Amino acid sequence: MVGSNRILPAQKIVSPLGNSALGPDDEKALRRSLVRKALAVLQTEIEGQRVFS
Amino acid sequence: MRLQLDFLFIKDVQFAAETAIHDGVLYVDKGALQALLLEDRRFASVDVEIAHPGEECRITGVLDVIEPRAKTSDGDEDFPGAVGAQAPAGTGSTCVLKGVAIVLSDYRERTESGRSTDPNGDIIDMAGPGAEAGLFGKTHNIVLLPIPAEGVNGQEYLAAFKIAGLKAAAYLARAGIGATPDRTEVMELPPLIARDGTAGNLPWVVYIFQILTTQFDPIPGEPILYGRNVPDMVPTLLHPNEVIDGAVTSQLPALNVQTFQVQNHPIIRELCARHGKDLFFAGVIASTAPNNMADIERISNIAANLARYVGADGAVLTKTGGGAPELTMARTAQRCERFGIKTALAVLHMAADVYGAATLFNMPEVDAIVSLGVPNTQLTLPAMKRIVGRRRVVPNMPPIDGEIKRTEGGIKGSQCQMGSFRLRAVRY
Amino acid sequence: MIRVVLYLNQFFGGIGGEDKADVPARLTEDIVGPGKAFRASLGDQGQVVATVICGDNYFAENIEAATREVRDLVAPYRPDLLLAGPAFNAGRYGIACGAVCKMAQTELGIPAVTGMYRENPGLDLYRKDVYVVETGDTARAMADVVNRMTTLALKLVRREKIGKPADEGYFSRGLLVNEVADRTGAERVTDMLLRKLRGEAFESEVVRPAYDRVKPAPAVRELASARIALVTDGGLVPKGNPDKIEMATATRYGRYDIAAKDALDPADYEVTHGGYDSVLVRQNPNRLVPVDAMREMEREGVIGSLHEWFYSTTGLTCIVAVMKELGKQIAESLKSEGVSGVILTST
Repeated sequence: MVGSNRILPAQKIVSPLGNSALGPDDEKALRRSLVRKALAVLQTEIEGQRVFS
Repeated sequence: MRLQLDFLFIKDVQFAAETAIHDGVLYVDKGALQALLLEDRRFASVDVEIAHPGEECRITGVLDVIEPRAKTSDGDEDFPGAVGAQAPAGTGSTCVLKGVAIVLSDYRERTESGRSTDPNGDIIDMAGPGAEAGLFGKTHNIVLLPIPAEGVNGQEYLAAFKIAGLKAAAYLARAGIGATPDRTEVMELPPLIARDGTAGNLPWVVYIFQILTTQFDPIPGEPILYGRNVPDMVPTLLHPNEVIDGAVTSQLPALNVQTFQVQNHPIIRELCARHGKDLFFAGVIASTAPNNMADIERISNIAANLARYVGADGAVLTKTGGGAPELTMARTAQRCERFGIKTALAVLHMAADVYGAATLFNMPEVDAIVSLGVPNTQLTLPAMKRIVGRRRVVPNMPPIDGEIKRTEGGIKGSQCQMGSFRLRAVRY
Repeated sequence: MIRVVLYLNQFFGGIGGEDKADVPARLTEDIVGPGKAFRASLGDQGQVVATVICGDNYFAENIEAATREVRDLVAPYRPDLLLAGPAFNAGRYGIACGAVCKMAQTELGIPAVTGMYRENPGLDLYRKDVYVVETGDTARAMADVVNRMTTLALKLVRREKIGKPADEGYFSRGLLVNEVADRTGAERVTDMLLRKLRGEAFESEVVRPAYDRVKPAPAVRELASARIALVTDGGLVPKGNPDKIEMATATRYGRYDIAAKDALDPADYEVTHGGYDSVLVRQNPNRLVPVDAMREMEREGVIGSLHEWFYSTTGLTCIVAVMKELGKQIAESLKSEGVSGVILTST
């Protein structure tokens, strides 16, 4: 993955931060939790490229 | 499983009062073919045209190309599940019309094309450098031109179109029933259980075959495997004869693969030809290419486990579609390597950046890669006297019947993700 | 008899060592240093009509001006070919040779060849534009290097087809070109697998890419007061695509105002990226650029602020060098706008 160092796998190519199978409230909750994870990754020191889960 | 392919070499195709084959000429009853295809109420009309090699003719909006084939043995079904009823594929006998292709030409204003921003999409030229570059400039092409009925959306049209192409392929090949074949091939790969010493110390090789990418929305009703679309399929074992004999078609929109190439699958034919001599062909693992990382892991693991369980020493891998499938193929290969199964991959390079990386992946274990070329070499194609298919006029773009530029990827049949051709990309 | 000009540094030009690295560019019609070897190698095919000598520091400290000076010195001699160096492992010299060769091609319209060792920093800067013959790391075997440079150069002048890097002795320029092999792809992949299975040596047709590693940025401290920005390569753009971002192989990016927005409204946006099915993103663009969730994070004090613009381009069959440049520009903008962390969503 070329130069990316902090990588967080998301949902799907067609909908990285969403899931159309869920109702709107659940989908929003999912998005919040993914965004929170991303923010946590931003606060994490790393040595080299790392894929978080 | 014994499959007999009876080839009839067709040297010309003409419209006539009745569908028949005489002296190597395929005569087509246009009205009967149209009536057959119009049984599908998703079409308002279906035109049929014939284009011959050497004609100054360009076919636009090409979606797929299919070789006419029909079962000639009792109890067997044409394209089971898609045209014929459900039945096992891969045994009995099949009539194949060589030198003829059914071409699907999209009617819609905006067609599907992986490569071209020109709404006229991918083309086939019957003369000139485009015909030289592509396989289908050399076949007699029967072009199907259906128009969707009122209220039929894009996906419904494509699903219906795919089925219509297969129907036409079977209908025309049936004209060859009873004729003496010009050449016969037999494919008779033994069951896996035959590892009894007859195979000696030959390495066992599986072919991991991506048949569907879900980077594009799967088309409901499009026949991919035994007549159904299979986006949630887990990797499964198929006998090579099944792939050759109509159980598998190429998905729409197709990036440098056509159903014709699946029917004549070059890797399957190569592995069958070398079975018993250099290798024991242990079968085809059909797999999808998912659109998210979690499923890429899942599918890779299931496919590699199946290869391991089958006792494979080595695996050949190819892909369909675009970039995400390349990652799936690489991840599957990496998993195989970690299980001790040696792999070799064949890749049509995705990148527009010819100066940059040739692959999207970079895994030390995945070290045996054959190049199938870059798809973006531009060809200048001359003006054509005749256009078959919809002629879409776009401001600021040259008219489709004039001199146009196309990349090799935009000419159907010039490149193939399964390795039909001798093209290769090298670093200069 | 073609007219050849040479470019040499102060050392090979016989002016002096490091102490003379500041000398400005000057021209001589004398044959100096490697010029003798080039003359011998060219034989009756070509004549060295002029040699430019320039100090490595003089050139390195003002590359653009120095390149122009070299061009102006050389142009009146109406050369058909320029040969520079060889620079071996000398970095400033390698950069100067690369720049001068590139100038000859683009501004004088003539072929040019230089020579460098594989670790010379000038190599990666110029190998895509200029033919660089491979040399050792010292000036031993000068005559051999000169001969290889001349052979390649004469082919270029005669517009003959240039063979593969290994055959002609130059560093791969990274260009991928189709050729017709002797067997189909299916035959080649089967052969390659069999060789691998038998433990025989095989040569992969595709060599793994060498990605340069980017040093990870330190973690964001004090998230609660940090300004966080959203960037995407999923091609989300305002309706009408005002910046005309391409559907593939993008050469541009856009930045779009979200200062007053609590969420992205599907009525305002479209997707230009042609490589994925964008229906779900068009239904709800927050699935790609999560303004709704981020605005809530801002209100709840999890982050200091959500940056007032999101940046967008199309990441489909793109040219790495172009994307590197766009990335640099976006990063510079974000930095000057006080952003300390970015969430980049990709399809």
